[in-house]
Amino acid sequence: MLDLSGFFNPESIAIIGASEKPGKLSGIIIQNLLGACYRGNLYPVNPSYKEVFGIRCFPSVNDIPTNIDLAVIAIPAPNVPGVLKGCGDKKIGSVIIISSGFRETGEEGERLEKKVKDISNELGIRIVGPNCMGVYSPASCLDTFFIPSERMERPGPGPVSILSQSGSFAVTFLDILAYEGMGVSKVVNYGNRIDIGESELLRYLADDNGTKVVAMYIESIENGKEFIEAASYCSLRKSVVAFKAGKREAGASAARSHTGAMAGRYEIYKAAFRKAGVVEAETYGELLDACKILSFQKPSRGKRVLIVTDGGGIGVAIADLCGDHGLDIPDLHYEIKERLSKKLPSYYSLRNPVDLTGSATDDEYGIVLREALSGDHYDLAIVTALWGPPALTDRLIDVIAGAEEVTGKPLLICSIGGRFTMSRKGLFEKKGLPVFPSPERAVKAASLLVKRGMINT
Amino acid sequence: MNADLRVQGLKDSSETMDKAKEIVNMALAQKRSLLEPEAKALINSVGIPIPSSGAARDEDEAVNIAESISYPVVLKVISPQVIHKTDFGGVKIGARNKDEVKRDFSDIIENIRRKVPDAEVIGILVEKMAFQSTEVIIGGIRDLQFGPAIMFGLGGIFTEILKDISFRLAPITKKEALGMMEELKGYPLIEGYRGSKPLDRESLSDTMVKVSKLMEEIKDIQEVDLNPVFLYPEGLTVVDARIILKV
Repeated sequence: MLDLSGFFNPESIAIIGASEKPGKLSGIIIQNLLGACYRGNLYPVNPSYKEVFGIRCFPSVNDIPTNIDLAVIAIPAPNVPGVLKGCGDKKIGSVIIISSGFRETGEEGERLEKKVKDISNELGIRIVGPNCMGVYSPASCLDTFFIPSERMERPGPGPVSILSQSGSFAVTFLDILAYEGMGVSKVVNYGNRIDIGESELLRYLADDNGTKVVAMYIESIENGKEFIEAASYCSLRKSVVAFKAGKREAGASAARSHTGAMAGRYEIYKAAFRKAGVVEAETYGELLDACKILSFQKPSRGKRVLIVTDGGGIGVAIADLCGDHGLDIPDLHYEIKERLSKKLPSYYSLRNPVDLTGSATDDEYGIVLREALSGDHYDLAIVTALWGPPALTDRLIDVIAGAEEVTGKPLLICSIGGRFTMSRKGLFEKKGLPVFPSPERAVKAASLLVKRGMINT
Repeated sequence: MNADLRVQGLKDSSETMDKAKEIVNMALAQKRSLLEPEAKALINSVGIPIPSSGAARDEDEAVNIAESISYPVVLKVISPQVIHKTDFGGVKIGARNKDEVKRDFSDIIENIRRKVPDAEVIGILVEKMAFQSTEVIIGGIRDLQFGPAIMFGLGGIFTEILKDISFRLAPITKKEALGMMEELKGYPLIEGYRGSKPLDRESLSDTMVKVSKLMEEIKDIQEVDLNPVFLYPEGLTVVDARIILKV
């Protein structure tokens, strides 16, 4: 296993460029670490101060009396090379460079970045960044994101790890995950990626016990072969989902042939994802839903969907969308129909979708799911839980969860509505049943589960 | 349909690539990409069917070739400078006798002289006209980051306007090649629809695997464009082939 523990489980952190001044990134990072549960030692570094937020501040890293696992650098770019040399003297193995002002700003910045890279190679320092947010890992209470906690909510511990080239993507995604009640394992925004990048992190996360799903935001990949190897390795162990931004980028080829003209970079990226067993999320929203479905449910073994609904219209809408996404909705087997007809009112529609109508009761959901989903007729189920039918109670949630457990098939909930419906979402999800608030999102999520199931087979 | 238009799976030995490599090296020595007859000879050397043809330097030679391969024939200019041959009147289709061959020959020479005066005309390719059928495109492209990739699409508007195409990174397996076909919206055209005969998916997938193998084995090939390929219920023929080298 790759040793990146300095970045994810540091016992001591030096914050270089520490300052209390309002608006200073380093100040926000210190405040976030102090406010979080971080139990390691924190060492502010800045020759101008004796104390920062009540903690002793050191003139340089070499003045700190103990070993340092991780240095976080947030100082103007031109000063970074000098400070990095100091980190080398102090034998600090892991450094996050938050500072911007490198390659992204032009030639001068590019030269500076090269210098930083050379120093880190020479001194054997591993780098995340520069021009990045760094690392968020709630299990070890590590947080180098320089966004105040009231502006960006931090998700708690959970099964999703995030690798992002973009800082703003990482920030908004974390905030939304927290709002959705989902948790994360390791989050890395590596910015300009002078050293540690997506391929190495994929290999690391492949063996990370806390990670079940890896969500990636990708603009560009530097070494395609390495990425395919690393992602293939990781996708055998975890679900890997990627959102590719910059889809309009033209092909690299001079394109003198027809094929050359048709092959934009995006087509090649898609082909690369496919080769590496990476599930592609085509939109931002899809990536979010992919994280949800893949962390809640196991991959589907096939594409035969059972739809159970208490609203005919929504059931039909879901059935239509299943067709669009290449999912099959085989009719109920006649033996199942026969068994169900003995247990359910005659006016229920015993087809696929199974329509329990406005007379639906909690237990009838259980009866249908247990009868139809057991055996080898369906691979997964989309269950519409509309809260209109007066006989339904909160016990419905336990009944569906029970059926899911008995049948062993993945199941997701499509629950559409306003305040009351949304107030029930958390109850479903506490029981391990992911809720999607529209037919479109539910079916898309189901199709991602099927796609993931088709990988490595 | 002729049984000899069917494509056999690639034999698993590098010797089948020897002729292809030889053709590439010859062109590289002259610092240029392949001419159409060379590109066709190259793919034919790995067992991909092409129409019978010959290169003619004058009208009489063109007639001799046409008589030996039988009419109707197509005449095409062979010139390193003329890549988009039809745009400059470099292609004449359907000559059915001696006189038409002579007429088409001189027309092409005249068109090129007028429209691309600097072009070096090496000769005129006289080719047996292939039976019209469903057109497909098989392509290969070498990506800087990800290496060779294979493209597949249906011909004409399906590719150009509807962008109904699929890509995979090489090497592709036969199963992946079949997957590339099935992925297209226009797949029913290959599978057979409204009583039309299903087309030869075996030959097609074997051809795609061979293009993948060529891209992998011969690193000097930058792009391959088999466009159009006529696909039949049994077998296929590559009607035009372009192979661009790293020069």
